[in-house]
Amino acid sequence: MQRYLATRLLALIPVLLGILTVVFVLIRLIPGDAVQLFLGTQVELTPEQMVELRRFFGVDKPMHAQYVDYLSRIVRGDLGVSLRTSRLVLDDILQRLPLSFQLATLALVVAMLIAVPLGIASAVTRNSALDVLARIGGLLGLSMPSFWLGAMLILVFSRYLHISIGQYVPLTQNPLGTLQSLYLPSLALGAAIAAILMRYVRSSLLEVLGQDYIRTARGKGLRAAAVMLRHALPNAMIPVITVLGFQMGYLLGGTVVIEEIFALPGMGRLVLQAIFQRDYPVVQGVVLVIALLFVVTNLVVDLLYAWIDPRIRYA
Amino acid sequence: MRVRWWMWLVVMALVLPVLPVRAGPAGTTFTIGVDQEVVGLDPNLVTAFSSFRRIDFLYNKLVRYNDRLLIEGDLAESWEFPDPRTAVFRLRRGVKFHSGAEMTSDDVKFTLERVLDPATRSPGRSFVDVITSIETPDRYTVRLKMQFPLASLLSGLASANLSIVEKAAVQRSGNLQRTVAGTGPFMLAEWVPDNFMRLVKNPNYFRQGLPKFDTLILRVIPDQASLLAGVRTRALDMATINQGAVITQARRESGIVVMQKAGLNLRIFAFNTTRPPYTDARVRYAFSFAIDRNVIVNTAEFGYAAVSGPVPASTPWATPAGRFTSYTQNVARARQMLSEAGYPNGFATRIVTSPTYEGGIAVAQVIQEQLRAIGVNATLETIEWGTYINRWVARDFDTMIELRGGDPDPDRFLYRTFHSTGAVNNFLFKDGGIDRLLERGRVNLETDARRPIYDELQRALIEAAPALFLYTPMETQVLQGYVRGFKIIGNGALYFLEEASVER
Repeated sequence: MQRYLATRLLALIPVLLGILTVVFVLIRLIPGDAVQLFLGTQVELTPEQMVELRRFFGVDKPMHAQYVDYLSRIVRGDLGVSLRTSRLVLDDILQRLPLSFQLATLALVVAMLIAVPLGIASAVTRNSALDVLARIGGLLGLSMPSFWLGAMLILVFSRYLHISIGQYVPLTQNPLGTLQSLYLPSLALGAAIAAILMRYVRSSLLEVLGQDYIRTARGKGLRAAAVMLRHALPNAMIPVITVLGFQMGYLLGGTVVIEEIFALPGMGRLVLQAIFQRDYPVVQGVVLVIALLFVVTNLVVDLLYAWIDPRIRYA
Repeated sequence: MRVRWWMWLVVMALVLPVLPVRAGPAGTTFTIGVDQEVVGLDPNLVTAFSSFRRIDFLYNKLVRYNDRLLIEGDLAESWEFPDPRTAVFRLRRGVKFHSGAEMTSDDVKFTLERVLDPATRSPGRSFVDVITSIETPDRYTVRLKMQFPLASLLSGLASANLSIVEKAAVQRSGNLQRTVAGTGPFMLAEWVPDNFMRLVKNPNYFRQGLPKFDTLILRVIPDQASLLAGVRTRALDMATINQGAVITQARRESGIVVMQKAGLNLRIFAFNTTRPPYTDARVRYAFSFAIDRNVIVNTAEFGYAAVSGPVPASTPWATPAGRFTSYTQNVARARQMLSEAGYPNGFATRIVTSPTYEGGIAVAQVIQEQLRAIGVNATLETIEWGTYINRWVARDFDTMIELRGGDPDPDRFLYRTFHSTGAVNNFLFKDGGIDRLLERGRVNLETDARRPIYDELQRALIEAAPALFLYTPMETQVLQGYVRGFKIIGNGALYFLEEASVER
């Protein structure tokens, strides 16, 4: 197990290096000049001032020099400084990471709360009216864009229920406030994910329920609930956990539109604005962090397999 | 019925949204929704419109515009021009910075020198670079000497970039991007970027009895429909909206007040006058006859704009748009002019635009449609904002939709935009006659002498057509009915919020 863990962790390095290089080059290749964007169209500078500003931003050196410079700083844990705001990139990321993490977790919790019971009901009452309705509901959830659902939720809550979208409050300050502000966005995100999950739960359960050991358990006289909870579900969960792992990685950076609609200062908005403004250090820093989190999440998921399923062992 | 575990979850899910979160700060609080976060707070350095709006609350200038777009004193009590090249300002006494120190002529001198210093890279520099010396004969008097008389001096001094900062504070901290050293009605208490900014009342504000509320919170909500939802539910007391669809929706709702005033931004259709066929002024002028500006206003801005010439229609200097012959659509005449220029069957061209508000993609689509009638087939080049700025700076376009910031004084906007040496003359336009009119207009301090010059200038600019002048969008604020006393100004500034109060 230790060797497995060590190998996986070492493999992180080439992956992250590759991602960093691709992002570094790509963001500089797209048209758009960071300095000019910073100034906009209303400011006039002399050519000397432009040269000075470029030097100040660090964009006057050739790309490979900038790359080497950046790598040497990354190794020391220095993610650089935002071109736009002069704030430390690491500070910005650490400030926004909790929100993205909380939102992702809540969305997955909502998704599980919807998908698991529905998936079980669907599998157990196979081909009944409930099953068909659940599957249609799942299709609807899949097809509905989460941002549309988000906008509709805001409309319904503000127009008809007179409840407003709360301002985001950090968890350490007031957990109730955090929950309130993330309530609607996690509903919007969770619905779409629930649809995906429900199908996995259903199909995985159907497969498991047909196994011999289930018949044995029933034959032993166990109640239906016990059969489900102790024997069927744990075996059915493995593909579900895989999907959860991927979704977590996706949610950590991919919730931009929801963040825009619900005014949440998360990592998605940070990186999107940075791309629009060609804020190179921020884009590189955020992508690096998200990639790292994604790889780590998948590692955790793989380790979870070993914990849940005693048959799986890593040499 | 047995109480099952999942029933608790359902109850919680229903009750959670309505639980009160935390007690608000003591005293009255006013919450505004804005759709853009600001990058920094240093008034002499910032370039973005959204930043100016924040600075309005934290700083004051020598003079400012009132709600009828006339200059009134802010930190300056009075001023005079002993001769055309000299301006003397008498400052109010007893004005305190947020730190408690008194504002004196020293701080004004320091601010002006800071703005004029090329190393500062202040966007406000070109507004006042005619100043050659700044003298402070006593604590409350500032005397400016200028290279030549400049009629738009006061207008330049009314810009947010010329807000007066505290000399000692700048010398201590270097720059004011994160700290505030102003005299304004509010002080900075808390700033969580991309979330909210909390300002508290300045107890020493020089306008007695103002501001009327204790706390001002600015919440960043990027989506305008969400801004409206916030006002609707009273989570926000006020929000600035510019999307026509959202404004229309707001107007339909009872309880929500929509305040609108003619604005100062100018939507234009720019030509690159060095690229054929736009090297020929007849072709450019023909386009003016071909389009129907009213349709553009109704489609792109849902009618919330005024058709305008080169000087924003809301300002006293503007020639009424009805007087321009080319503003009445005349497709036949347009075709004839194109014929005379050698294009009887029209030609193909490209329009650069962007999906952002400034990029005006709806405007481009309407114009594209209207140009078909004269045989001009335009292709839209819809590009991302960063690329748009690139192309703008490189002057790499045939035609382009732009939104320019205008000003109540015609010189500040017209000179830098249309003079052959103008810094934002991206049309590469050179016209000696117009250059001379601009030069004469700016040095004449008397309105009676200036007026005929600017009347002539507007006529000349429309005929020479370096750009087609389309409209000025209205400034719109959406607020709850219990907000009283707020005055909306055409330049979008929010400093009159200091006079507002809430009666819930």
